[in-house]
Amino acid sequence: MRYLLGTLAAILLAAAATGLICFRLNSEPALHAAAEKRDAMQWLRDDFHLSPEQFTAVRELHAAYAGTCSEHCRMIQSASQVRAALAATRSTDPAAVAAAERRVQELRAVCESAIATHVRQVAALMTPADGQRYLSLVLPKIADFDHTAVPDLRLNHQP
Amino acid sequence: MKHSPDKLTEALHRWKVAPPADPNFRPEVWQRIRERTRISWPSYLRAHSAAWSLVAALALGAAAYTGHVAAESRARADREALVVTYLVDLDPRVQALLRTGAP
Repeated sequence: MRYLLGTLAAILLAAAATGLICFRLNSEPALHAAAEKRDAMQWLRDDFHLSPEQFTAVRELHAAYAGTCSEHCRMIQSASQVRAALAATRSTDPAAVAAAERRVQELRAVCESAIATHVRQVAALMTPADGQRYLSLVLPKIADFDHTAVPDLRLNHQP
Repeated sequence: MKHSPDKLTEALHRWKVAPPADPNFRPEVWQRIRERTRISWPSYLRAHSAAWSLVAALALGAAAYTGHVAAESRARADREALVVTYLVDLDPRVQALLRTGAP
């Protein structure tokens, strides 16, 4: 009985060590560090193996896109406010309500197209395999975001 | 010198052996029995090598698989969170949503 328990304990100990080693060998510490810091640029650099030149080019693309993004954001906000105001007053003009809704949807479609173009430009800066992987991660989410509510606010860089 | 068989039988009947009592006799017998049955851990393992090898292979295999799956799962969750973080910065729809709360 003593040997049985001792052998069992030794095997369990070895199994725990094996599990831990396999976890360490298969984990991606750089990815985890980026996720903990919520640093998307670090993630792009590490996960998609960007060289310093590629990384600089991606940063420049993002900086250039930021203006477009702000402008789209402002227009969507403005159109959403018009729509909300019409809804709040219970407008008797269905055409105005429909037009406001259409305007919001048009702006959102334009915006989705602009982001997709932007991420394709970013992907073009990567190696073909990494670019493909990047697009397969990002493009479905862009489509999803249009149909979801506010994403988890903790992800909005709030500590 | 010759004895008659009757006398010999009679002498044998009269003969009595009275050995001194040994108080350690019983404990010593048990001690010897225990020594014969005592087995070392390596001997135990050799005797049950097939069963323990199977148990060890299963346990180590399951642990390795669990470690691998746990690492992959964490990487997937990290990547998912980073994509969302990235797109929150990039997507004006989400930013408008965050500012106005209206879809």
